[in-house]
Parts: sequence; C-alpha cells; structure tokens
Amino acid sequence: MKKTKVLIISLILMAMVLGFAQAQITGQEVMENVYNRPTGPDIQSTLTMTLTNSRGSTRVREIKQFIKEFGDDEKKIMFFVAPSDVKNTSFMSWSYGDGQDDDMWIYLPALKKTKRISSSSKSDYFMGSDFTYDDLGERHPSLDTHKILREETVNGEDCYVVESVSKDSDYFYARTITWVVKDEWFGMKREFYDEDDEFLKILTINEYKKVNGYWVIPEMEMYNEQKDHTTLMQLDDIKIGDGIKDSQFTERMMERGIR
Amino acid sequence: MKKGSIIFTISLALLLVSAAGAAAQDLYFGGYVRNNTGVLIDDDLDFSHVQNTFDLKAEYYGDISELKSEVFINQTDTDDIEIGIKELYVDIFFDSMDLRVGKQQIIWGKADGVFITDVISPKDLSDFVLPDFDEVRMGVTALKADYYTSALDFELVWIPTFTPAVMPETGTIWEVSTPLPSLPTINVPSDTLENSEVFGKVSYMGSAIDIELMGGYMWDDLPAAYQDAGMFADYHRVTMAGGSFSTDIAGLIVRGEGAYYNGKNFTVQASPVTTVEKDFVNYMVGLDYSLAGFTLGTQFIQEIVLDYDDRIMLNDEFKNTMTFVVAKPFLNDTLLLEFFSYVGLSNEDSLLRPKVTYDLADGLEWILGADIFLGDEGDFGQYDDNDLVYTKLKYSF
Repeated sequence: MKKTKVLIISLILMAMVLGFAQAQITGQEVMENVYNRPTGPDIQSTLTMTLTNSRGSTRVREIKQFIKEFGDDEKKIMFFVAPSDVKNTSFMSWSYGDGQDDDMWIYLPALKKTKRISSSSKSDYFMGSDFTYDDLGERHPSLDTHKILREETVNGEDCYVVESVSKDSDYFYARTITWVVKDEWFGMKREFYDEDDEFLKILTINEYKKVNGYWVIPEMEMYNEQKDHTTLMQLDDIKIGDGIKDSQFTERMMERGIR
Repeated sequence: MKKGSIIFTISLALLLVSAAGAAAQDLYFGGYVRNNTGVLIDDDLDFSHVQNTFDLKAEYYGDISELKSEVFINQTDTDDIEIGIKELYVDIFFDSMDLRVGKQQIIWGKADGVFITDVISPKDLSDFVLPDFDEVRMGVTALKADYYTSALDFELVWIPTFTPAVMPETGTIWEVSTPLPSLPTINVPSDTLENSEVFGKVSYMGSAIDIELMGGYMWDDLPAAYQDAGMFADYHRVTMAGGSFSTDIAGLIVRGEGAYYNGKNFTVQASPVTTVEKDFVNYMVGLDYSLAGFTLGTQFIQEIVLDYDDRIMLNDEFKNTMTFVVAKPFLNDTLLLEFFSYVGLSNEDSLLRPKVTYDLADGLEWILGADIFLGDEGDFGQYDDNDLVYTKLKYSF
C-alpha cells in the first residue's frame, strides 16, 4: 500500500512537471516540433487542386508527386497530369535543413528544356492556386520569430496559437498565425497577413489521418479573402515508406515524365 | 517527301501505336487544334498568315519502352495542306541508360530565344523565328544514348543523314536580303555514312550549379556561297565545342552558354565570290529574377568571327544582341502578359514581341500579340515593313 502511494505521488509529480514543462514551451519550440515532426522516409500521392473563383467557376489541376527525405534535406518532384495543356510539365525542388534557399527546376515539354528557376519566385502562386511555392514547402523555423499567443480548441483538438514574424522585412507575409495541435505537432489552421499586415488568406484542414503511423493531411483548403478565390487541395493514393529511388529526383525523370 | 508517302507514314505510325495500345491499354492521345491569323500593319492590312493546325500526339507505354509520335496537319489561307511528322521515336529504358531511336527534337543549352549550343535539331526559319519554338526546331532521325551515373549524365547522339536549316522562301515577306549577285544553287551532302553527324554531352545538375559540356562533329546548318560557272553554295563540316551553366545566386539566376566553332566557312566578296574558313565564337550571359510576381530576364549574346577578313559578306567581326523579357500572370494564372524583345546592338535594330494569353477554360487559350520590327538593317531591321498583329485560338486535348 505504501509503495502504491509513493508510486501514485510520483506519477502525479511527474505529470505536474511534464505539464509545467509543456506550459513553458516557447513558440520557437512549437514550430521546431512542427518542422521536425516525422513525416516518413518518403511519400507519394496524387494531388488534385480545385480552383474556384469569385463567380463560382472551377478549374482542376492534377499532379503526381513524390517526396523523399535525404537526412535533413528533402527532395520533391511533381508531374503535371491535367489539364492537357500543361501535361508532362514537371517541377523539382530540393529543400535544405540548414535554411539554405531551395533549388528549383521546371521542365517545359514545349521547349524540351529543364530550367533552373529563381528561389526568389517562392512568392509566386503555384499553378494559379492560392498556394505560393513557399506555402507548399517546409519553412525553416529559424527564418521567423515565433510567439505563442494563446491556446484554443479547434475541431476538438487542443492547439497552440503561434504567431510567426519573418526576420526578413522583405518577406511577402508580414506574419502568419498557426494553430498547432498539441503533442501531434501538425498545423490545423493558418492565417496569412500580407506585407501591409492586412488579412490575406486562411488555410484550413478538412481531413487529417495517420498512414503507416505518420500524420498526413488528405484535404485542405486555402481561401484568399482579398481575391475571393479558393483552392481545395486533395491527396489520394497516399503511400508512405514505399521506397522511392534516389534517382527519381533527377533531370532524367523530370524529362521522362510520369506514365 | 511526296504527300502520298507522308500520309502513308503517318497512317502506319498511328496504326502501330493503336495496335500496341489495343494490346496493353497503356495508350495516350493528346494534342491541339489551333487557328493562327496574322495581319500586317500596313496601309492594306494584308494578312501575313491564316493557318489552321491539327496536332496529334500518340504515346504507348510498355514495361521498359515507350513509343511516341506527334504528327501535324497545317492548312493555310491558300488551302495548301502540309502534313508532317514532328517526332516519331521509340524509347528503351535500362537502369542506368536510355536509348531513343527515331525522329526526335534534341534541345541543348541554357539560352532563351537564341541558338548557341542548341545545334542538333535544325531550324525551320520559313517564318523567321516567330512560330512557337517547338515548331521552329525540326525533328531529325537520330540515335540518342544517355548513360547516367550518380553525379554525371553522358549523352551521345548519332545523326545518320544531314538535314539543313530551312530558310525563308524567295518571294515571301521573310525572304532574307542577300548581297550575292544571283541566287545560288545549293548542294546538299549525300546521304552516306561518312556524312553522318556525331554529338556528345556531359552534364551535371546539383545544388550549387548546373553544367553542360558538349561537342559535335557536324555540318554547318547554313551553306557558304561561291562563284564558279554560276553561283553555288555548299554546306561544310565544322567542329564545335561548347558549354553552358546555370546557378542561383541569392535568388538571381545567372546563366551562361558558349560555343567555339573550328573551321566555319564564310562567303567573301571577291571576284569571283569565294569562301574563307575562320573560327567562330558565339556566347551568351543571362540573368533571371522574380520580383512581386514579375518574371524578369535579360541576355547578352555576342558572335565573333576570329581572325576577321574584311571581305566577309554576311557577318561582321562582332555582332552583339540583347534580349529582355518581362512577364506577369494575373487572375490566378488565367491571364498572362508577356513582353519579349530582341535588341540588335550592332545594327541598332530590334524585334518587340508583346503578347497576352487568356485561358478561356482549361485547355482553351486565346492569344493576342504583335511582332514589331524596328531598324533599317540587321536580323530584325530587314523586316521593318513586316510589323504584324496576330491572334491564336488553341484548344488542347
């Protein structure tokens, strides 16, 4: 009995210590946890983007994408499948864990040429969607200053609400606010504010689930309030850890395309 | 090639592709239908061209191979019908090696809108450089082998028969002004093994830089003229060595490309007109940047005839050209404004190419553009009377 009491007291104390430690977590640590959350050695999926403008008309883009971790670095290759006028276009990016600028290339089948594109184009919108190239990558937490604003519950999940302000005053977002699910370390919602600190757009997660033990976001939506334009992004045929070859992330594969 | 044999070839190609596809269900069809209409900006507002195009791609995917064909039909305002094969080839994929055999377009280099090391596919300059670049470059029958290591790619190209560039026809608005006393009879090398062309390239793509080194033992795509019992022009062998690079420096893409031609023939003003062999250098340095959604780019291109002979007729010792491009998408990429220009520094001439592309729906685009030539002489100034506006409606499927 005495041993049981000691054990219970110890567990309570441990829980209090852990709870205290968690309460003291900083915004920087939250975003580092998000950045370092295991996403699996590799992932492949079919990405469908449905673009809806203010008049309600829609356009659909379909992409086959492959992503692989290389230590702290990540390589991604995307093959455009639809619409027909962009079919066989491909895009490749290499991102670096040390915060170095991404390397990006695009293969244009009409020119039969792979072109290196500028990392300064990360503010450009991807295929007419409401996602910039930067939104689609993993932004290194060291590039911003992070602060926990409060804690909130979203979709039944307890979240830290973290404000991130870029250390680079020329960055195209004055700040972002991210709702990060406690202990799971994925974002549930994110607000983006433009260079004038005006509300620009909001990213919401419609579906999240675990595949092979890793959190994935099969469906999310970006609503650009300033343009009244929405992009619904859906992932299908998600495979994690299937063993994508290193040679998938090469100019050879960009030019060969996807079958 | 006679029209009958072209139709037979296309039909055979489509039949082969269809048969293969029927067996494996791994068949893809795509292409486009396009109307392209241009009007000269002159007193009469003459049409520069009215053209309807049907382009059909058929691809079959096997386990380790692919078969690809692209055929086109052009119908012009005079009801002339041109049928051709843009590409028709088989790919075979191995672990570290790919083979491509058949008619194909092979594109090298990092330059935009100019040809420096991009010397394998000959150019169809019937309408100067105004058509889309996949229509300016002609396919050639070739064997292309690529071998891949973890760091380097090696490419070897063998072209059994020489195909020269197509120059604008006499009497068209794109006819090239020539100082020759009369039009020459052009002699094309015979189709023998000895007259085949060989090219090689080594390339590296990495985080810091992309590099290509290449060389070729080939025929000069343009003939040099001489006077004998009349005016003649011969194509000549030339050896080329070159390289290109592209790198990102703090968001600024820096590109470069250069080629050295050993023993290029030039026509010289003499009595009689004859040719002289000189080495020739052609290079480009360029910058690309993206700012606030604008794509900005510029290139400086220089051609140099080494050990220049003042009697050379068509080339100055130096020719300097710059290009500029500004582009910006609007309305979530449904509207694209582009402005591309060539500026000839040596002859103070230029070609301005504003263009608006609007996506009416997925796969359906409408283009409105203009080609404005300025100057009195030079590559662009010679066409000062050919300013035109055009519109294209293109449906891709």
